[in-house]
Amino acid sequence: MLRLIFVLLTLPLLSFTAVANESRQPTHSYTLDNGLKVIIREDHRAPVVVSQVWYKVGSSDEPPGQTGLSHALEHMMFKGSKNLEPGQASRLLGSLGASENAMTTRDYTAYYQILSRDQLPVALELEAERMHQLSLPEDEFLKEIEVIKEERRMRVDDNPNGLAYERFLTQAYMASPYGQPVIGWMHDLDRMQIEDLRAWYRAHYVPANATLVIVGDVYPETVKPLVERYFGAVPARTPVPIRTPLELPAGGERSLVQHLDVQLPTLMLGFNVPSLTTSAQPWEVHALRLLDAVLDGGHSARLASNLERGSNIATSVGTHYDPFSRGDSLFILSGIPNLSRNVDLAQLEQGVWEQIDAIKKTPPSAEELARVQAQLVAELVYSQDDINTQANRIGALESAGLSWELIDQDVDALKAITPEQISDVARRYLVRDRMTRTTVLPLAKEAQQ
Amino acid sequence: MKSIKPFALLRWLLAIVALGVMLAVLLKQSPAPEAQPKPTPDTAKPANNPEPDTAEEVFGSPLPALQSLEQLDLDTPPARRGLDLQHWTTAQGTKVYYMRAEELPMLDVQLLFAAGASRDGDQPGLAMLTNALLNEGTNNLSADDIASGFERLGAEFSNGAYRDMGLVRLRSLTDSDKLEPALALFAQVLAQPAFPAKAVTRVREQMLAGLQYRMQRPGSLASEAFWSTLYPNHPYGNLPDGEADSLKVISRADLQRFHQTYYAAGNAVIALVGDIDRDQAEQLAQHLADALPEGQAAPTTPDPEPVAATQKQIDFNSEQTQVIVGQQGIKRGDPDYAALYLGNQILGGSGFGSRLMEQVREKRGLAYSVSSGFTPMQAPGPFSISLQTRSDQTELALEVVNSTLDDFIAKGPTQAELVRAKQQILGEFPLSTASNSAIVSQLAAIGFYNLPLNNMQLFLDQVQALTVEQIQAAFAAHLDPAHRVTITVGPPQPEEDATSGESAPEATETASENDATKPAETKP
Repeated sequence: MLRLIFVLLTLPLLSFTAVANESRQPTHSYTLDNGLKVIIREDHRAPVVVSQVWYKVGSSDEPPGQTGLSHALEHMMFKGSKNLEPGQASRLLGSLGASENAMTTRDYTAYYQILSRDQLPVALELEAERMHQLSLPEDEFLKEIEVIKEERRMRVDDNPNGLAYERFLTQAYMASPYGQPVIGWMHDLDRMQIEDLRAWYRAHYVPANATLVIVGDVYPETVKPLVERYFGAVPARTPVPIRTPLELPAGGERSLVQHLDVQLPTLMLGFNVPSLTTSAQPWEVHALRLLDAVLDGGHSARLASNLERGSNIATSVGTHYDPFSRGDSLFILSGIPNLSRNVDLAQLEQGVWEQIDAIKKTPPSAEELARVQAQLVAELVYSQDDINTQANRIGALESAGLSWELIDQDVDALKAITPEQISDVARRYLVRDRMTRTTVLPLAKEAQQ
Repeated sequence: MKSIKPFALLRWLLAIVALGVMLAVLLKQSPAPEAQPKPTPDTAKPANNPEPDTAEEVFGSPLPALQSLEQLDLDTPPARRGLDLQHWTTAQGTKVYYMRAEELPMLDVQLLFAAGASRDGDQPGLAMLTNALLNEGTNNLSADDIASGFERLGAEFSNGAYRDMGLVRLRSLTDSDKLEPALALFAQVLAQPAFPAKAVTRVREQMLAGLQYRMQRPGSLASEAFWSTLYPNHPYGNLPDGEADSLKVISRADLQRFHQTYYAAGNAVIALVGDIDRDQAEQLAQHLADALPEGQAAPTTPDPEPVAATQKQIDFNSEQTQVIVGQQGIKRGDPDYAALYLGNQILGGSGFGSRLMEQVREKRGLAYSVSSGFTPMQAPGPFSISLQTRSDQTELALEVVNSTLDDFIAKGPTQAELVRAKQQILGEFPLSTASNSAIVSQLAAIGFYNLPLNNMQLFLDQVQALTVEQIQAAFAAHLDPAHRVTITVGPPQPEEDATSGESAPEATETASENDATKPAETKP
């Protein structure tokens, strides 16, 4: 799974020039007078299209005491606008066979519809209307906030690993708002008011704070007039300035022991590291991405080879690094010790540190890097099989304050990284002063102690 | 591409790291994300659509004041991708399905074997352990060799075992210096697994850890209880992930025997979609069929015996209660499938706008998600409705679910709902064939379940011809409440404590990996 994460978050950005030139679909980018940025990518394989609107607002923008606002507003975006009753837009899209959804993260809130190419105008008109004429009725909010609490119970409160991760983040981010949960604390959901959401909507749902991404069987000549007709009508307003979530460079070693209703103990080590947006030296971020791939880019990567097979101390172990967040990021190593061999969390941590120390001392081999590159080149092709994946990459980069064109430049950036630089960032960043450790232990163990 | 090894489950656990920061509103949870042979018409021939519907009929009245709706042409079905599907059988009896897709320099290969957990016999977990060990060593390659062999070519190998089937997949670039070695390695992994002792021990331990992990997930417990209650004396009642006692004693000889019997050429379906021509496809399929053990198709899984209506509560320390309501449904190829699929879209299969979503979430805020679905399998698979709700609301949620279902069985959909759902299915169709990965899965399922090559077109035609009465009759025929099973997993309800008696049956049994509504049969 961590390999999957690697694929989702790291590989997307790679494109080796040769491949890119022959296979990249024509992509057009421009900005409307009201400030809305529009990116259109042609993909004519099937007569379908995805339309996405991304707002640069997420949980990291929320003031303490009001966590969960962005996500709650996302839910309310389906509760009616000027010409549409609550739920009517979804029923309408459903009738067309369109598929739609929305997502909220710490950095952005995004909405999408996938539909037959001839139906694109419907998606654009609906999305444009709720960009500036959302109803936000209180009676609907009072019901929806209960749905959101059910969502929180399902994802976090009844999911011990979700709970453990939520608490871990509060320690790993000492200064950054990334320590706040996207879904919000239950006590903040309890006191949330419809007025809070109205204010949040007015402040952040502004064309100049949004990106429209369209990928599919369309041509710019026909799409541009449609975009102008529907989104051109949204009045320009000045958005709230975006603040980059920044973290302390080295906040000191932190440790959080959690006894929860789990069956398997878990270890998680998170190191405070920069992202491509916050780093003064972008090569460091690219080197961290390659470090991530050398450790956990597939079943033949070091952690699986050495700790799951090899010494066999881990039932599962992997890494996670999001280099494209709007603010400072975390490099996370996590694992489950092999209980069948009576490995405990301390022994697992020691094994993980041995892997970290090894790469600090000895740069990765040419063979390891060749394997990583082969995966990156292939993944670039595979990712084009799905229009929504392509649109997601474009939208996520833009929303983090980066350019979608990085997709084309990324190759060279990664190719320029030397094996020694990979060891260098490991020495620089995978240090105890930057580390937060959490151990999750079954309740029964606690009783025994 | 997700690896479907047993410990993928555990990796999923770690994945919370990534998912924890992304919350989707889950508007359209598809009921059973299966490779529902949802239609692949070979041409863009419009489905028969006798009376063009007006916008008011499709979208309801009054129509919202939207320009784009007025301009929408509802008389012409949405454009479809032309799909040139081809099928042949190798000398060994391996069924091959192929579609050329030249746009991207890549190939998807998917093999399905009737080698699922329904073949476990008295060794629960055998099918899954065998499948998981395919890429853990051959006579001359170690697990490390295999992993690095695929990865240095940029090829992606994945595998999995479910109730009906064992699945093996390869995705590769089509440059010959990549494709040829990747396929050679793939054939070796499929055909000559050596089941090395060390690997058997390790993967077994991972599966045991997986069983333990399931116990902390109420959804898994509910799903397992649902399947075991619905199929008490039938292979579907067993958990594909196995049982600890059984896993511990499965031997290398058992694994070899299972592989020889069920990973045989005559028991395989090969689906190929990508940038290779027919000659290459034939050679490739023949090469794979030649490599596989010789052998025949496995016998068909027998039909289950019906079970009487029952309700089970499993105690679990959580804030929410998991609810699954359902019963035995239909097998693949059932003549009522189109009517049940269409009806279910209206009942609870299409997210917002479906009756269950309206009643449970929109009107009452009882749950974040609620959905229903049929899972047609080789033998009749389940129909299920599932949701999670705050525990003190469980009874109310159950009442709403049951009355919504009873009403639908008694009266069927309204004419307006029918028109809308037909339009919806026509509109969804182009989306379901937009990617190579979607097409290869559907092709493989067509082969595995012996459906006609034009199955998708037939399905669309059947759907468009359905009436309210036919849907009502199909629901009444297949969903007799005398067989309806209810599973709840959550804190004990006060009423039950008072009356005591029939609480918590064996809560300690391991649960099934997938939510009841997502039996992985269809997942490929």
